[in-house]
Amino acid sequence: MLKQWIAEAFNEPDCDTNRAKSTKDRKQGCSSRALTPGAAAGGCAFDGAKIALQPITDAAHLVHGPIACEGNSWNTRNVASSGSQLFRTSFTTDMSEQDIIHGGEKRLFRAIREVAEHYRPAAIFVYITCVPSMIGDDVDAVCKAAAERFDVPVIPVNAPGFVGSKNLGNKLAGQVLLDRVVGTREPSRRTPFDINIIGEYNVAGEMWMVLPLLDRLGIRVLASITGDARYHEVACAHRARVNMVVCSQAMVSFARSMREKYGIPYFEGSFYGISDTSAALHEIARLLVEQGAPADVIQRTEALIKAEEDAAWRQIMPYQERLSGKRVLLYTGGVKSWSVVSALQEIGMTVVGTSVRKSTDADKSRIKTLMGEDATLFGQIPAKELYRMLADGEADILISGGRTQFTALKTKTPWLDINQERHHAYAGYDGMVAFVRQIDATLHHPVWRQVRSPAPWENSGDRQ
Amino acid sequence: MPQSAEAIKDHVSLFREPEYKEMLREKRINFECPHPEETVREISAWTKTEDYREKNFSRKSLVINPAKSCQPLGAVFCGAGFDGALSFVHGSQGCVAYYRSHLSRHFKEPTSAVSSSMTEDAAVFGGLNNMIDGLANAYALYEPKMIAVSTTCMAEVIGDDLHAFIANAKDKGSVPKEFDVPFAHTPAFQGSHINGYDNMLLGILTHFWQNMERNPGGSINIIPGFDGFCVGNIRELKRVLDLMEVEYTIVCDPSDVFDTPSDGTFRMYDGGTTIYDSKAALNAKATLSMQEYCTKKTLAFAKEKHQETASLHYPIGVEATDEFLMTVSELTGKSIPDALVRERGRLVDALADSMSIAHGKTFAVFGDPDFVYGMCRFLMEMGAEPRHALATNGTKPWAKKMKALLESSPYGQDCEVWPGCDLWHLRSLLNTAPVDFQIGSSYGKYLERDTGTPLIRLAFPIFDRHHHHRFPTWGYQGGLQVLVRILDKILDRLDDDTNEAGVTDISFDLTR
Repeated sequence: MLKQWIAEAFNEPDCDTNRAKSTKDRKQGCSSRALTPGAAAGGCAFDGAKIALQPITDAAHLVHGPIACEGNSWNTRNVASSGSQLFRTSFTTDMSEQDIIHGGEKRLFRAIREVAEHYRPAAIFVYITCVPSMIGDDVDAVCKAAAERFDVPVIPVNAPGFVGSKNLGNKLAGQVLLDRVVGTREPSRRTPFDINIIGEYNVAGEMWMVLPLLDRLGIRVLASITGDARYHEVACAHRARVNMVVCSQAMVSFARSMREKYGIPYFEGSFYGISDTSAALHEIARLLVEQGAPADVIQRTEALIKAEEDAAWRQIMPYQERLSGKRVLLYTGGVKSWSVVSALQEIGMTVVGTSVRKSTDADKSRIKTLMGEDATLFGQIPAKELYRMLADGEADILISGGRTQFTALKTKTPWLDINQERHHAYAGYDGMVAFVRQIDATLHHPVWRQVRSPAPWENSGDRQ
Repeated sequence: MPQSAEAIKDHVSLFREPEYKEMLREKRINFECPHPEETVREISAWTKTEDYREKNFSRKSLVINPAKSCQPLGAVFCGAGFDGALSFVHGSQGCVAYYRSHLSRHFKEPTSAVSSSMTEDAAVFGGLNNMIDGLANAYALYEPKMIAVSTTCMAEVIGDDLHAFIANAKDKGSVPKEFDVPFAHTPAFQGSHINGYDNMLLGILTHFWQNMERNPGGSINIIPGFDGFCVGNIRELKRVLDLMEVEYTIVCDPSDVFDTPSDGTFRMYDGGTTIYDSKAALNAKATLSMQEYCTKKTLAFAKEKHQETASLHYPIGVEATDEFLMTVSELTGKSIPDALVRERGRLVDALADSMSIAHGKTFAVFGDPDFVYGMCRFLMEMGAEPRHALATNGTKPWAKKMKALLESSPYGQDCEVWPGCDLWHLRSLLNTAPVDFQIGSSYGKYLERDTGTPLIRLAFPIFDRHHHHRFPTWGYQGGLQVLVRILDKILDRLDDDTNEAGVTDISFDLTR
């Protein structure tokens, strides 16, 4: 059953690359790189699924497994909530050896009851990790029984770590929402301007950089999937007029299925970078009108775009001089691998390389379009190679996530966080100004003078 | 527009602007199906009652906000303490990504560890091929001096036999025959990271000692145990032992690899106990553990090898450091030098100078069993009163030992010990039996928010404050650090409580 469920996730008719593959290749999944035993590795499918669903803030997220999965990770993502903070609370069954011998179903059922009785959450997501999956706990049945007994939606998320990468986990999470959540409730009112934003997780409150723009256009985000989401809005998502997919291919299957099931057109866009933001707003307006919204929204959008772009550029221009020609090594994944490239190019920076480890083939072709065929695309860069590149001065700044932060610093290279631990929102026009300001602040921080010069009594030359 | 490109506001202030408040309020009303505020207040108040506490403590199956991690995290930490050692975790790969993040976020350093990346096929057919390929790749890519193998629960559920697998991999030429590949089974569904540390250390020592003849000498082994403050503490240990002119080996020393300089060189491996020293450690006269609950099996093994053994519980403060020094002195015959006597005098002086400040203040302490023991002991020495001592990975024997400690002092009489409880239990405790301060990890900040109990961060993991781990908490110098951290928090709090002009500032004094 699990096998079939994974196989389906790898079948994506809306993806050119996927369609071009043979059945056999398709089974290998979208990740270009098979996992290499013995090499440093990224997160697993469970991690990916949890990341994608946990921003549903009023739900309880219960991890069924030994302490490993939750004990080492709880509450480490800075996704912002405007309401409930329940999603930050860690719930786990902390399975012990006895549970593995006798099966973990009873323990899980009781744990769900305890969550339901203590918290009355809007819903309970139950994550199945490697161990219960291997010992054959029938989590679906437990969840079904618990949902009936405690009168709360209990949703099993079947993405144990061993099935694959983080990206696959994202995909499976989308499938869970589609199968079990979306379409189960109705919104209290509908407007011709209702959209869903898919694959935006409100890291550092990022989505809130964009919502005011939409507000000014009278466009309502019916459901954000899943940044600062409430269970109820995700359940109502099927009544939107247009879907925008932000986190690239991981959620395309979700959007494609919504088009098939509910007739909602979708497009892929990004709110990183000025021209990408404008293009996204434009496309939202265009599709809304196509769906029957009054046509004037297009003119209003264009006016807004012009005003916002002008204001943003006014702020960015002074930096352009200081940043133009600086070389960036981008080491992140997924949507950020291309959406940030175009953003950086807009301010005249040179992107010397970008990583595509969690990116799909479609992400990659986008990068090629942006950076040209010669673009250096990296998969996983071994720590050593990353170190060499930075030590050899191939880049002026590394923009990446926390796990490579300290490697960069050891090579005396400025570093900026673009992943979940950052505290600044970079989306939208204002976000871009903030991003540029942060790059500038990082590159020109006085600490680099200290870091790069030897002690004054040493006259041996060091990299300046 | 509250945000504008003309003046970018940061995340702290931006979302408090009226426009955002309105937008987010709308969202709550439309999508959250919220309960009336009154109900929310009522329930919130109820969760602070004895009634709820009783319900909370009757939880059987659900763990909420655990203050522990799993065995392989401890194993990876342990591997980092050996020269040129690469930790290799056999099982699914996501786990290793977590360990690396967890340790990096705490130490602000790169953390190197690899996985055998088992997938579904491996789950069905066993992970032998992953071991063979994995060892070969890790050996070729990262050029370690040894590879320390541990396991995730996935490999443990299948029952992969590390001993046979590693032998098999060596037969296939993954790594040279003589290359050191110590291993330990570290199932996450038993114990916690402190047991993983113990198991991995036992695995490493067993590997090096098994075919050796012991030739007893005068040196002693010191095992620091799993410790978020290892950088500061191990350096302090070395300084003290050097002052005593003791011949010693720190067995498992990650103090350098978790604190490398920014000088243009990336050190994937740095410092640590060498293979030579690890072997020679068999000849030691004695092995001393700084944290008994991290080293139960390892100490038993040392005893089996006819070494003397002794163990402490995370020594903080005067008495605990005295005990440490006297133990070392007893084991080695070396006297305690005057320099340390003077340091002791200074810590005693500092405690006396500030005696009134912490006196009678009440504390909750959570963390690993040895830490909680050592911390409570120091609190009582300061005249402070521990009231709740909680370890998610504490056992009943630990609780018994804690009780004996608490009964030894009038300041421990009102303290309750909570083995196996989580931070949600602690929330109920702080609500129904409030204390003045709590001491623990960064995760305590949510308890601080919910119960108003100020948090002093002295236990792993510390994610939201920087660099504390670079300073010691052990020895007389460490005692001074801990004392200052506690005093600062108490005095900051006092200033906060008395700084409203004309209202509370009657005792807003310059001299405290």
